[in-house]
Amino acid sequence: MILFPTLAEPQYFSLFEKLLFAALALTSAAAFWSRFGLVLDKILKSKQDPGFRLFPIGKRIREFVWEVLCQAKVIRERPLPGLAHAFVFWAFCAFALVTLNHCATIFGFGFLSPSGSIGRLYDYFAAAFAIVCSVSIFALFVRRFFIRPQWLGTKLSWESGVIALLIFVLMTSYLASFCVADASPSARILWWSHSLALLTFLPLIPHTKHLHLLLSPATVFLSRGSFAQIPPLAGDEDFGLVAGTDLTRLVSLQAYSCVECGRCTEHCPASNTGKLLNPKEIILGLRGYLNEYGPASAEPLLGKYNSQQAVFQCTTCGACEFQCPVGIEHLPILIGLSRGAVNTGTWEDQHGSRLFLALERGSNALGISPTERDRFIEKNALPLFDGTQEYCLWLGCMGAYDPKGREIVLALVRVMSYLGTSYGVLRKEKCTGDAARRLGNDLLFQQLAEANLQTMAENKVKKIVSICPHCVRTIQEDWHEYGTPPAVEHHSEFLARFVSQLPRTIDSGFSPDIESEGCGGFNPRIKPTAPEAALAPEAEQTTSTLRPEKIVYHDPCYLGRYRNVYDQPRAIVSLAGELVEAPRNRERSFCCGAGGGLVFLGEETGERISHNRVHELIATGAQTIAAACPFCNTMFRDALAATGDAAPELLDIAQLVARTLPQGGVS
Amino acid sequence: MKIVVAIKQVPERDAQVRIDAAGKWIEETEYALNEPDAYALEEALQLREQHGGEVVVLSAGPERVGTTLRETLAKGADRAIHVACDDLGARDALGVARLLAAAIKPEAPDLVLTGLQSEDLGLGQTGVIVAELLGLPHATLILHVEKTETGFTVKRELEEGWFQTIELPTPALLTIQSGGNKLRYATLMGIKRAKTKEVRSVTSAELAVNAAPVVLLEWVTLPRKQKSTQMLPGTAKEAAVALVEKLNVEARVL
Amino acid sequence: MSGILVVVEDRAGRISRISWEALAAGQQLAAQLGLPVSAVAIGSQTEALAAEITARPLAKVVRVEHPLLAQYTADGFSLALEQIIRTDAPAYIVFPHTYQVRDYASALAARFGQSLIGDVVDLSAAAENASPVFTRQLMQGRLNGVYRHTGSGPCFLSVQAGAFRADTPDLASTSAAVSVFTPTLEPTQIRTRPGEPFRDGTETIDLGSALRIVSVGRGIKDAANISLVQELAIALGAELAASRPICDAGWLPIERQVGSSGHTVSPKLYLAVGISGAIQHLVGMKGSQCVVAINKDPDAPIFEIADYGIVGDLFEVVPALIAVIKAAKQ
Repeated sequence: MILFPTLAEPQYFSLFEKLLFAALALTSAAAFWSRFGLVLDKILKSKQDPGFRLFPIGKRIREFVWEVLCQAKVIRERPLPGLAHAFVFWAFCAFALVTLNHCATIFGFGFLSPSGSIGRLYDYFAAAFAIVCSVSIFALFVRRFFIRPQWLGTKLSWESGVIALLIFVLMTSYLASFCVADASPSARILWWSHSLALLTFLPLIPHTKHLHLLLSPATVFLSRGSFAQIPPLAGDEDFGLVAGTDLTRLVSLQAYSCVECGRCTEHCPASNTGKLLNPKEIILGLRGYLNEYGPASAEPLLGKYNSQQAVFQCTTCGACEFQCPVGIEHLPILIGLSRGAVNTGTWEDQHGSRLFLALERGSNALGISPTERDRFIEKNALPLFDGTQEYCLWLGCMGAYDPKGREIVLALVRVMSYLGTSYGVLRKEKCTGDAARRLGNDLLFQQLAEANLQTMAENKVKKIVSICPHCVRTIQEDWHEYGTPPAVEHHSEFLARFVSQLPRTIDSGFSPDIESEGCGGFNPRIKPTAPEAALAPEAEQTTSTLRPEKIVYHDPCYLGRYRNVYDQPRAIVSLAGELVEAPRNRERSFCCGAGGGLVFLGEETGERISHNRVHELIATGAQTIAAACPFCNTMFRDALAATGDAAPELLDIAQLVARTLPQGGVS
Repeated sequence: MKIVVAIKQVPERDAQVRIDAAGKWIEETEYALNEPDAYALEEALQLREQHGGEVVVLSAGPERVGTTLRETLAKGADRAIHVACDDLGARDALGVARLLAAAIKPEAPDLVLTGLQSEDLGLGQTGVIVAELLGLPHATLILHVEKTETGFTVKRELEEGWFQTIELPTPALLTIQSGGNKLRYATLMGIKRAKTKEVRSVTSAELAVNAAPVVLLEWVTLPRKQKSTQMLPGTAKEAAVALVEKLNVEARVL
Repeated sequence: MSGILVVVEDRAGRISRISWEALAAGQQLAAQLGLPVSAVAIGSQTEALAAEITARPLAKVVRVEHPLLAQYTADGFSLALEQIIRTDAPAYIVFPHTYQVRDYASALAARFGQSLIGDVVDLSAAAENASPVFTRQLMQGRLNGVYRHTGSGPCFLSVQAGAFRADTPDLASTSAAVSVFTPTLEPTQIRTRPGEPFRDGTETIDLGSALRIVSVGRGIKDAANISLVQELAIALGAELAASRPICDAGWLPIERQVGSSGHTVSPKLYLAVGISGAIQHLVGMKGSQCVVAINKDPDAPIFEIADYGIVGDLFEVVPALIAVIKAAKQ
């Protein structure tokens, strides 16, 4: 019997015990419901989400299985604590039947006999989880209270301590029950310990962040459907998230689901550089609001619990939403809050007003006369789109007016000519409206989107290629609200399809005696003064030609997290040198600081986001930084200028390719 | 306090300038609110925010002016008056002022504001003449307006960085200089609210003013010099001498 | 009805430069039309002013004097001029296009059923013996319009600063006759009360209203060299500004930053020293009337929007400039 112990259960319960248990259980349930019912009520009383579709349900189920059942996001970002948490969660799942049985036994309805084969097997199964869970919860306790990682916050959470203790008691009391005899007083004590722990735990769930136990599976299942999805405004009185009455069910559900893990804050570029914005606090602020005022209140959301200043420090990089293990969608919330301020005119920012006025009156976000764009097109003899070419090359504000943006465009044009792609540029472009959209100016965005969609239709544009991930995102996803945009892709996606046709700088079997054959052959690497200055065949063959240049690639937020494009730009970079990764790369890439319209606003407080990122990129030891977004390019250029003359070179991927093209090719 | 703001719809600042077939004006293009008038509107809205009252926007011109009037309603004006007039270009400044004065008079406002000048003709006279026709005291190039017991105290811009305070009784007329305030952007809420605001139309015929011009714009031409960069060559000393001379004589900014 | 009347203004007790130009314009018109030219000075003490202009070839100089004209008011000046115009009945009244004239001249013209032709840059006969036509700038300088006065009655016009040369004074053999005209004015007729002119506090840096700006960029290389550009600014009577990298490095305070995240400026003169012309900077200063760029790099984007450019080493050009400006002041 010692080799295969069974779970000890008290064989007999007195009437008093039964009544006591019943009373405690009822009290516990009442305490539970008094809070949970309230929360549920607040969520259900929030207004419906416009445009929410439950189907297709397949994706929802898949995400549920992956993120909830497999705890994928929890583990991926913080592996050890994540795994510990996963074990605790799985233990809870495994214990479902055990707990049910435990409560049933006192009334004689126990169904898992500890001596029966099924019962015994299940008990051992649960015991295994209990062991793992005890160890895990202990480790997590030590982490929270002794190691104290920064992102959990500075205040010690006593409720976490209590909950950890309860879980520990639940698990150990269960395990201890294997070591005592059925009829012994110890079994009774253990049974009651377990029960009390359980009945204490139950009402604590809705009163603490452990509410996520009940809500987060629903939150993950009921997500909006795609990353950073901005919901449409519903009706004439909807201006975004202004007051409690604007909070929708999804927002309320998400506000109550927050487990305060701090993953969002940990990856936020604003939080990492000393700004006021803290994504976790935004969500908890909404929860605080709902607790105090409820979803029917006219009290402004930006007031006691959240500040307008913090909201407008968001670059919309999406790192927060991407990380959240319980399915909170921060971006629709943050943008909803900006919308509420901008659409009602309560956001009074000097630079913001100037941006909006420039877009209201003119065609671009920089406030520059469109004749400058015309001159650029004319001077470089760019073909005009007439409906016959395959691609419409969208210049965008940066490509049309910014000197560096123009260089990127011209580099791409060289490559497209080399590849023989037919393309044209539109005679007139208006800003896609990305900045207006992210800052929440729906009036302006609608005007820009509709005007642009009309231009597209008039010019019979079918396919667009753009150098700017912001343009790509806005055209593909945001314009959808007002019409059907043409197909659009980023130039990295375009170029990646032709990787085999583009010359490589570094040949693996390189030898300086090999005769150059034009493309694909030996191209000595010399630092050009301008990307278009191609390489002369008789150039120096010494120096660094034998070792490939190290190029660190920076994933733009709007290309990486927003569009899932990570490999195509890397394929391009690999043509030009040795690809080097930054510590925070791919989905964890750190924003350059320009997004959310912030590049058009005033100076940041605290450390510059772009400087933070540039230091990281320089520390990789790469000679070149490869960008794939004109905004990243402009932010890094400023940051590098502050670094000094030893700074690495900064080039767009188009420029990297153009550099390797044979001189005198099509231009 | 009732404030009337007289605005003008002008060709968009960045629009390409092409002379029409008759050679008398430019071809139809895109139109927008005259920017100095936007500052006048902003001043009016701020005064209303401080002292209460009504802001009435007024503009003369063809049907397309209605769009700009709606924009001003969206920015916060209470109601608008459209003086429907298809031959605005054929009237001189005096003729236009007569039209506006006739439309403003029945409103009996406490304050009339206009922008300093229009971005197309740039005369800067309409407001001044309207004041004359309505018998109102006036001041121009105003950056800031404050209401007082007896009327208004205003800050006027003078040449070369000087300013002056002027006191006027009420009612009065002021022409507002750009840059005095921060302009507000059009909001979704503003546009939605504007749908229910009144735009009253009155024809120029109804106002029955003397439209015969005493000054005629005979024709328009493109200026001889287009903007181009003059690179000044030579040694540092030579270039410096040439530059100072150009700045003095040609650009006249010294 | 005959003659050309030129209204002159004073600055700090002397006839202003633009008034001399208005006189020159009046004389040009007179030569075309064969009409006599007279000048009018308005104020409470106009003796010295009149003395300045009598040497010019004028038919007469009229001093319009009244205590109520000590300070400019629209009511005072309009009433006074209205009376002299009704008395003298000139065919043309020429004003210098100053802020002051913009304040009252068109109202004055309206009293005569006339419309002021303002800010004229050119006046020439359309054809032999035809009435004169006046050119003024439209669409913010992108178009020129040619106007003709068609009504009967006096023609009111004002001339733009710098459009008419007043450098070569035409001295007459005999002094013009000076007369004093006292208009009838009552205090109740002056409805506005002007205060004394003042300047805004000089402690705060107000780039937005600066008329001249010297702006420094990365080309300056070191904080120690800023003083060189500062000297240039002082010599020009200009405000000092900078592009973002300079303020980032702390070489100049952030209040001096011009650009998309700093100030937007539109001075008469913007002198960019060692600035390449990145878009963030350009959007802050593209409204400047006259842009001068000094840069080592001939391909710097700043040259595309500059009116005048010097490709050279700023450490040579700037001292040379300072020397020339100081010499010119002598």
